[in-house]
Amino acid sequence: MSDKKYWQSFGELNNSEAYQQSVKDEFKEELPFENEGLLSASTPRRDFLKYLGFSTAAATIAASCEVPVKKAIPFANKPEDIVPGISNYYATTYVNGGEAVSVVAKVRDGRPIKIEGNDLSNITGGGTSARVQASVLDLYDTARLRFPTIGVGEDAKEVTFEAFDKEIAVALGSNPVTILTSSIVSPSTKEIINQFIAKHPGSKHVVYDAVSYSGILLANEATYGKKAIPSYKFDNAKVIVSLGADFLGTWISPIEFSKQYAKGKKINEKNPSMSKHIHFESVASLTGSNADERFLHKPSETGSVAVALLNAINGQAVSIADAKLKAGIEKAAKALTSAKGEALVVSGSNDVNIQIVVNAINEALQSNGKTIDWSATYTYQGVDADFAKLVEEMNAGNVPALFVYGTNPAYSWFAADKFIAGLKKVKVAVSFNGKNDETTQLCKYVIPSHHYLESWGDAEIKTGHYSFLQPTIAPLFKTRQWQDSLLLWNGSTTDYVTYLKTYWSAKVGGENGWDKVLQEGIIAPASTNTVSANFSSSAVANAVSAATSGKKAGKYELVLYQKVTVGATDGASNPWLQELPDPVTKATWDNYLIVSPALAKTLLNIDLTNNGQADAYEVQPPKKVVKVTVNGKTISLPALIIPGTQADTVGIALGYGRSEKIGKAAAGTGQNAFVFTSLNGNTVNYSVADVQLELTNETYKVALTQTHNGYDTAQGNRTEVMKELTLAHFKEDPKEILEDREKELAPFGGLAKFEKDGTIYPVFDRPGIKWGMSVDLNTCTGCSACVVACHAENNVPVVGKPEVLRFHDMHWLRIDRYYSGDMDNPNVVFQPLMCQHCDNAPCENVCPVAATNHSSEGLNQMTYNRCIGTRYCANNCPYKVRRFNWADYTGADSFPDNQKDVLNDVVLMMNDDLTRMVLNPDVTVRSRGVIEKCSFCVQRLQEGKLKAKKESRPLETGNEGKWDLKTACQQACPTNAIVFGNANDSHSAISITRQENKLRSFYSLEQLHVLPNVTYLAKVRNIEEEHAGAEKKEEKEHA
Amino acid sequence: MHLKYESQLREPLVYGSKTYHDVTEDIVRPIEAKPSKLWYIGFYIAVALLIFGVYSIYRDVTYGIGQWNLNKTIGWGWDITNFVWWVGIGHAGTLISAILLLFRQGWRTGVNRAAEAMTIFAVMCAGQFPIWHMGRVWMAFFVMPYPNTRGPLWVNFNSPLLWDVFAISTYFTVSLLFWYSGLLPDLATVRDRAKTKLRKHLYGVASFGWSGSTKHWQRHESLSLVLAGLSTPLVLSVHTIVSFDFATSVIPGWHTTIFPPYFVAGAVFSGFAMVQSLMIIVRKVFGMEDYVTMGHIEAMNKVIVLTGSIVGVAYLTELFMGWYSQNKYEGYTFWYSRANLFSPYGWSYWGMMACNVISPQIFWFRKMRRNLFVTFFMSVIVNIGMWFERFVIIVTSLYRDYLPSSWAVYYSPTIWEIGFYLGTFGLFFTCFFLFAKYFPVIAIAEIKYVLKTTGESYKEKMGHLEQVPAEVFGHSGHGHTTVDNHAHN
Repeated sequence: MSDKKYWQSFGELNNSEAYQQSVKDEFKEELPFENEGLLSASTPRRDFLKYLGFSTAAATIAASCEVPVKKAIPFANKPEDIVPGISNYYATTYVNGGEAVSVVAKVRDGRPIKIEGNDLSNITGGGTSARVQASVLDLYDTARLRFPTIGVGEDAKEVTFEAFDKEIAVALGSNPVTILTSSIVSPSTKEIINQFIAKHPGSKHVVYDAVSYSGILLANEATYGKKAIPSYKFDNAKVIVSLGADFLGTWISPIEFSKQYAKGKKINEKNPSMSKHIHFESVASLTGSNADERFLHKPSETGSVAVALLNAINGQAVSIADAKLKAGIEKAAKALTSAKGEALVVSGSNDVNIQIVVNAINEALQSNGKTIDWSATYTYQGVDADFAKLVEEMNAGNVPALFVYGTNPAYSWFAADKFIAGLKKVKVAVSFNGKNDETTQLCKYVIPSHHYLESWGDAEIKTGHYSFLQPTIAPLFKTRQWQDSLLLWNGSTTDYVTYLKTYWSAKVGGENGWDKVLQEGIIAPASTNTVSANFSSSAVANAVSAATSGKKAGKYELVLYQKVTVGATDGASNPWLQELPDPVTKATWDNYLIVSPALAKTLLNIDLTNNGQADAYEVQPPKKVVKVTVNGKTISLPALIIPGTQADTVGIALGYGRSEKIGKAAAGTGQNAFVFTSLNGNTVNYSVADVQLELTNETYKVALTQTHNGYDTAQGNRTEVMKELTLAHFKEDPKEILEDREKELAPFGGLAKFEKDGTIYPVFDRPGIKWGMSVDLNTCTGCSACVVACHAENNVPVVGKPEVLRFHDMHWLRIDRYYSGDMDNPNVVFQPLMCQHCDNAPCENVCPVAATNHSSEGLNQMTYNRCIGTRYCANNCPYKVRRFNWADYTGADSFPDNQKDVLNDVVLMMNDDLTRMVLNPDVTVRSRGVIEKCSFCVQRLQEGKLKAKKESRPLETGNEGKWDLKTACQQACPTNAIVFGNANDSHSAISITRQENKLRSFYSLEQLHVLPNVTYLAKVRNIEEEHAGAEKKEEKEHA
Repeated sequence: MHLKYESQLREPLVYGSKTYHDVTEDIVRPIEAKPSKLWYIGFYIAVALLIFGVYSIYRDVTYGIGQWNLNKTIGWGWDITNFVWWVGIGHAGTLISAILLLFRQGWRTGVNRAAEAMTIFAVMCAGQFPIWHMGRVWMAFFVMPYPNTRGPLWVNFNSPLLWDVFAISTYFTVSLLFWYSGLLPDLATVRDRAKTKLRKHLYGVASFGWSGSTKHWQRHESLSLVLAGLSTPLVLSVHTIVSFDFATSVIPGWHTTIFPPYFVAGAVFSGFAMVQSLMIIVRKVFGMEDYVTMGHIEAMNKVIVLTGSIVGVAYLTELFMGWYSQNKYEGYTFWYSRANLFSPYGWSYWGMMACNVISPQIFWFRKMRRNLFVTFFMSVIVNIGMWFERFVIIVTSLYRDYLPSSWAVYYSPTIWEIGFYLGTFGLFFTCFFLFAKYFPVIAIAEIKYVLKTTGESYKEKMGHLEQVPAEVFGHSGHGHTTVDNHAHN
């Protein structure tokens, strides 16, 4: 080492005075803790008192505000499969009576929160219905029975399972048992029932469905020798004629049929063709609303219409008085005969004779084996006459023990009082129903079964098509699966899970096979060939004469129908379903009397062609109440005027007027219309040929979510809102819609330059992801599965009837329904409307605090905690999709529990800790005073993007059928009418859809230059050429 | 021959023979005397209304905006209607004090003080609505652009609602300053006459030590001029910006370029009507007929008939454009939702037409302009009409806009919506009663100023000129050309 001195500056080298000073001053500012002032600081007495006073006051104020304590307790021992924030998906099966749908339950932190369709199913293909979507809420229903009880009504006392079993054993003794169930779809359960019957001599199994298909079953027995319902192949049919069968809404297997139907309605622009659907009905239904052509008849004429159709097909004369109807039948016959082998006729009637005639028609059309497939039959088994016989036996005192499962005759049987009287004579009445429904209330022994999401099981949806149930959550209450009870009471030592496993392991190849079917949830048969059955025409002649034999018809007739939303069983207790607007009537929370515009004029004195009266009817929720009397039984219901209903026919939905014990949502909604059904031979008749209608002075408020139904206004037809045309038009002038749009946008640069020339502001590039959606109005049937899916996915609050009445409904996605044409029998089009995520969103620039803004991916985002609730955005939204939290619907407010007299019980129930388990933790629960709206399921988009990112690959939104994400509405849609994805990716499904459907694409209200991101594909109706041609010509002449 | 010092066309601004002392006595008397029974009754009614309003707001804040009958289609109803209505009323005061000051309109002195007070109270009432109509009013401070830790996250300067925040707060501030600076000399007068210590102290503080020195007067005059200059554009801008709330939107019936002038005219219209209502009561109750003369009332009626007609032209223009544009959406709003009497809200449109356009036309007749009862009745009618105008614009545009599927059910207010509105009446009149009791309702100093050139006392003072022959008068340097001309006659 040298002693050389290293220096950095001359100052250092010379050690100048200035340098010394600078060294000394380097850390001139002393560190604060050396500061005397701070260390010796003292609080003067006055300051101290001030601080003391302030902090005491502050603490007092803070302490006096009650802050709700919410606990989040981590697992002591974390279950292996549960990762907080990560969802698990379990394949299971939605079962409601004879209806079974393969689904996948999304389980988050141990609780199922969302139902998706099972994509593997070749029946539903991942589609769902509104009721399937809503079923997850039933799991958390506060009205579920929570423990077994013994005793009726007030005397019911909670008992343990052991005590229950003991008492039942004593009570049953060696008596024969009648097991009364809805149609059983489970093969293993059928076996258990059979074993039970075998062990208890004299026992029997009676199947009773609230809305039965007895007519079809018996007709098929008569003509095909099979008491079963075959598969229908709507996708193989070029011509579909439905005689009142609501096959897109409620008939047999609506999800499957919707899917098939949509295949025929999808249009290939290069070679446009589509199936033709002609509908005959009495009261407007979802299916009728979708038909290309609809013809109206009285319900008493159903037989005549069927026979006339048969005659017309066979080339005989049609003897129908009504000219329109006659023309319709001839038209239908012509269309059908020209498509032999590719035609299908279905009927929703429960009359055996009519169904036999329909079978004969299908035979004549060579449908058997082509559009009607006997290779797989449905599992509906209920024949009404069997049950009627049981009621007789009960009243005769011949039924010592009755087990009730999945059915509720005390509500749904037309002679409920007779059933109730009979039930009183039954010594041992056991109910396995999960809810304290009208029948269960009368049973002494109640041992509730699990909800399907808590259950094990299997379902044979159609022969050979199996679907499995596995629990997605441990039972919430002291409930026991009813199969377990049957096994136990039958002296078996195995429980149902073991039984099920043993039953299936043998069939599917042991433990591994069993695990696989559970995981997939499905076993599908290998062969998909359609099979025909031998037709015997012996019963046809009698049926023809019976079907046409003069029924005594009165002035007015009545149709009892099921709503797509609530249905005829326990749907009334589900708040999501109750608040879901019926797609046909747009009404919520009630049933009502559907009347035609013509009848409204004479009966209600409301003339819808008079603007003033129409306005008054629309804007005022109180509707006139009509007294409906059938055979001395009377109910009073408000009347809604629904076009598409036969002039002298009225309709009432079943499934309402329930006991409030099945849930707060059911309380006080509607009237029970089952009292108007009647037994007609072997089957229940869901129409009445003679009703008395009497207008009362009363009114009743009906909660409608849409009050105006046409887009043609006094000041012009709003074709920018909606575009529809006929197939003939489309073939003749495929560019019609493009030209329309061009014309609308001509003042602003035309289609090509519209984006740039329609504004004075600069236009920006939109690189990266750009989310877009397309809704095909041709395949959208309006079934509303998407609306409930959106409810479930996005924690959309339920607001209750009083709030819907005030137009406060919160649906993020709604289905607008428009009528056009003839007011008595209009064309109907459904338009799902969600936030359009406009690129030039009018809501965004009016928010004073920038709470709603645009993402770089084209989403119109809502920042709830920035929102101050001025509602300016909602006012300025031309689509009116923004929803405001008028009250604390969710219980998320900072003023807790203050909505008792503000909101009704149902909303408060939705905020119960149990019900809140259904909430999706990925989505903020909005508090009072903020705006909310469709987010394109942004939580799913983030999850999907993350998934792609983790796998280091580009996002796939339908690229070669691969999906990283789907929005909830898209996933729920049974017809794939909704396509969503990255519009900047030319291989994504959305880009391809837009590319392939250029001629039908339009944006709603495009001329406003808000640049929406949802494309609609125009509705095309398959209406006859000459008719359409004439119309076109007329238009041209006008022009 | 009174032509030398008195205009043939203009009537005197002050009636009777008043000395400066009389003026002070007349105007300060109500402040120094015990309030009358009538005052107490009125005040208690106002306070009761105010309390009801406060309770209505309490419900709105505690339970949510669902306490009102607004809905998914009609996001604004009575709340913003009342807001615009009150803001409109708040226009006359500043117009009278600022614009008329700049135009040297002497007659403003009689009414400007009360009109300005009315402006301030009306703007206070107006401000309640945008505040309490918020769903989360406790977050209202978000509308203030201030540096913050959220990013920082700024307000949206594109939003007309934000412009409102600035426009209204600026207008309020300037109006308040203008009003208060004008009050200073008068407060000093009250202070100087005060007999109790407390009074002296309070009015002393309130008058900011005004001593009446020439310097004070000079500064006061310059300040008035500066504030008048500042307020003048504000009078026009405030309602212009309020109209932007609607004009910049996409909703048919709102999206209209005519709105700014139409709104300003409407605001002046309703403002003057409100001044009429109040002044007719005040001059009667406090016996100030000599200061607020029929001349004043007639002048204001002229403004009313002028602005009412401007508004009428605007209505007709809208209807014309609804047809001429061939825009079916606007056509529907203007011709069906509004002009069709038999549509659900047709009554409100024709109510507006009758009140605002048709009935004020009677003011073309001088007899009517000078009839107190007719004027009072019409002033109320005009304000009802202007309320309807805002209701028509807001509700009939929203309730049936673009998508027929979203057309709303009938909107009528709940008791709490009405209560909120009544509450602002309570606030307004509580303030006004207190103002009338504790402040000079007429600008004493300004009246004294005009007294130099008008009124009987002026005439008396000038009486000696009668004795002077015209020729002499003309040459003595006292007169001016008019006098000369008359002298020649």
